[in-house]
Amino acid sequence: MSKPLGPGEARTRQRQRRQLVYVAIAALLGGGIGFVTGFFDKGDGSLFTGDWEALSLDPAIAVILALALVAGFAVLPLYGFTQIDEMKRENNLIASTGGCIAVITGFPVWAVLYAGGFVPAPHAFGVFAIAFVAMAISYPIARFVR
Amino acid sequence: MKNRLKVLRAERDWSQAELAGRLDVSRQAVNAIETGKHDPSLPLAFRIARLFEMRIEDIFDDGEQQ
Repeated sequence: MSKPLGPGEARTRQRQRRQLVYVAIAALLGGGIGFVTGFFDKGDGSLFTGDWEALSLDPAIAVILALALVAGFAVLPLYGFTQIDEMKRENNLIASTGGCIAVITGFPVWAVLYAGGFVPAPHAFGVFAIAFVAMAISYPIARFVR
Repeated sequence: MKNRLKVLRAERDWSQAELAGRLDVSRQAVNAIETGKHDPSLPLAFRIARLFEMRIEDIFDDGEQQ
């Protein structure tokens, strides 16, 4: 027979369940955005190469995707910040700082390297990717290394 | 910062999850505090002190002599 849960353990399990629901909603939202973008994309452009002129979506789909992106990249994370404890919040803030520093440093470095003929011209998705990748690298450093 | 959290928890036969729930933090936070990887904020330090009915300085030691 398993040991009965104390009030603290019950609350911890409840916290873990809430976290799972949060991750599931984030995954569904991300998957939905990816699916709709891929399914309704009418142009030949690519976010990855900065080929913006050839990107094309129905205006209604574009508005829906924009709202979903605001929910996914702003509302959900900000809500998440209110649900986590101080240590996880600190780790998330370190990750966000890593992304911010990477963009502040990365864009001018990219620009001067472009001016020197080393790399293609900077573009918006590249800058977005710098922030995203830097955050993805910074979080595990904050969580496991320091 | 050194602390006596692990000892105090063991004296009460609480798991990290039990202590975490009582403090309203994650189990990982309790583990990080016990191993000295995370220093709790002042509000959390007060919650810990109240839970164990002790003073903060009787649980945490910043290494400075008084």
